[in-house]
Amino acid sequence: MADDAADVLIVGSGASGGAVAWRLASAGIKVVCLEQGNWLDPARIPSNQPDWEFRRLTDWNPNPNVRRGPADYPIVDAASPIKPLLYNGVGGSTIMWSTMHPRFHPSDFRVRTLDGVGDDWPLTYDELAPYYDLNDRMMGVSGLAGDTAYPPRPARPFGPLGLTGGGRTLAEAMDRLGWHWWPAERSQISAPSGDRQACNNCGWCEAGCPRRAKGSTDVTYWPAALAAGAVLKTGARVFEITVDDQGRATGAHYFDASGNIRHKAADKVVMAANGIGTPRLLLLSVSKLFPDGLANSSGLVGRNLMFHPIANVTGVFDTMINGHTGNSTVSLYCQQFYETDPTRGFARGFMMAGLRSQGPMVTATGGWAKPLAWGESHHRDFMALAGRTGSISILCEDLPDERNHVGIDASVCDAWGIPSASLHYQIDQNSERMLAYGMARAREALVEAGARDVVDKALLSEAGFHLMGTAKMGSDPARSVTDRWGRSHDVPNLYIVDGSLFVTSAAVNPTPTIQALALRIADHLIASRGAGG
Amino acid sequence: MFTPLSSVPDALLDAALDRLLPGGDGWPAAGTLDLGDVVRTQGARVPAQSASVRAALSALPADFADQPAPAQEAALRAVEQAAPADFAALVAAAYSAYYADPRVHAVIAEKSGTPVRPPQPEGHVLPVFDESLLAGVKARGPIWRPV
Repeated sequence: MADDAADVLIVGSGASGGAVAWRLASAGIKVVCLEQGNWLDPARIPSNQPDWEFRRLTDWNPNPNVRRGPADYPIVDAASPIKPLLYNGVGGSTIMWSTMHPRFHPSDFRVRTLDGVGDDWPLTYDELAPYYDLNDRMMGVSGLAGDTAYPPRPARPFGPLGLTGGGRTLAEAMDRLGWHWWPAERSQISAPSGDRQACNNCGWCEAGCPRRAKGSTDVTYWPAALAAGAVLKTGARVFEITVDDQGRATGAHYFDASGNIRHKAADKVVMAANGIGTPRLLLLSVSKLFPDGLANSSGLVGRNLMFHPIANVTGVFDTMINGHTGNSTVSLYCQQFYETDPTRGFARGFMMAGLRSQGPMVTATGGWAKPLAWGESHHRDFMALAGRTGSISILCEDLPDERNHVGIDASVCDAWGIPSASLHYQIDQNSERMLAYGMARAREALVEAGARDVVDKALLSEAGFHLMGTAKMGSDPARSVTDRWGRSHDVPNLYIVDGSLFVTSAAVNPTPTIQALALRIADHLIASRGAGG
Repeated sequence: MFTPLSSVPDALLDAALDRLLPGGDGWPAAGTLDLGDVVRTQGARVPAQSASVRAALSALPADFADQPAPAQEAALRAVEQAAPADFAALVAAAYSAYYADPRVHAVIAEKSGTPVRPPQPEGHVLPVFDESLLAGVKARGPIWRPV
């Protein structure tokens, strides 16, 4: 059954979909967004339950293959050492993100020119900077201007959050080593704003925030987008982008919440279903004109999958450092080793981030240190760790490699019979060397901070939050999927706005860059209104 | 709802929990906290792990619950050696139930001098960020790479 055509149909309501919907609707464009999940009811968030840690590992797990929520689709991940973490619902993966909000650097857009690896982006930091600023205001970013690892930037919309327990100890150690560090920019507000309460440092951002302090797009962009006239259809599971005989996108087929097949027609289609979901849908959209999947004449849809390889090193301290307080992820970061130094034996670099302790259950079961022994020694061993650990994560730039890719596995389907995505990914030697070097630096910092013991966790598997590169942008249609505006080289009215566009991964969390790109592309759509593309 | 742990007797489960997480010095023994239903409920959410827990418990002697503590510990060590994956699941289930219990949280709080509670609604109070900590970083100047 067809219904009224939209000017723009957006597939996915997460980090990028929310931003695009708001920007377009605010310009008077008739926007419809199809989201296969639903709104998150804050009452369901288990962060006020005594078994919150168990829930984090089971039905509230960011890994959809573990969580198995009604809106999730399976992802075949046996051929990837890094497992996918994402959320399906209004707000997308911003519901379960940990709110780190760093930007790319000017050099991140020029890695081929500067270091001879990867590719240059078809745009510059300066072109994106105004959209980073706009996005910071919309999401509500806390932090402190003046970071010496970045070009000058405006004051952050909100002041910095406090350092977590142990954060000051670690910061002072990095200072003694002569290293850079800075309080992390977070998409969490540090003061009340409108209907959003200030962050109360509970630490479990990944669960979703009942205070609305966390900047997930169900809280930030979507209320503004809906007020501007955008239409959001939940429980709408897209399975095909449709095209006409001229090869132009005409809309999307989807299952509604009752399982009925429907079609939403639109003049333009915007893919915002993340670095796995977008290539999955493009590869599933096979037709006479596009036998290898939509927008795939380059053969690069799904290719160049990038994560960020991440390792953790944990220090155990003799004194109570209140490591259980504050953000569970990053309260400060170090970019001393961000840029290429040929003497280190690898190209590009990494970011280190200071992490706090974990809760009692995860402390006992291993977490970022070692599982505790059972029996008579257990309680003594537990108290030696409780509140006395601090960790450093090493987040490495992942170089693009066409062999790493998202494919389709038709032998595994979701609840509506739509074939699943499959991941095919390996860590390269550059990343292995970088991880080893980074763990050595983390150990150095923790020992300097006074840790009596350090424990390595090399290459975390449950770390596939950052999904990038699977429909890269570029100027050459043979070597990229979209142009510099996210517009498909093959289908002139099809756009991509999520992490699939990334040419390289940098060594910072990608969400602010995803959203800045999405806003920039939205402005291009507004400017080209009526131009046919 | 039937789960792999539905038919495990409380006496067996409690005895095993007591040895894995014994009491003393203010800590409650896990078997005294009536955690059987918690273990079963949690196990229902992780069926594969639940099956391993059942396998580990099934490998214990039939009279395990009536044995003295040293014999129970020896029996558990034997299962740990013979079926390490199943035994690890049993230990994880015990820790998951024990450390989700507010009575255990209260003991940790008393011993550590810091609150142990779910993240919300109270959260934590942190010191306001002290910008003077950045004096050294600022003095060293910009490190970003011009292009």
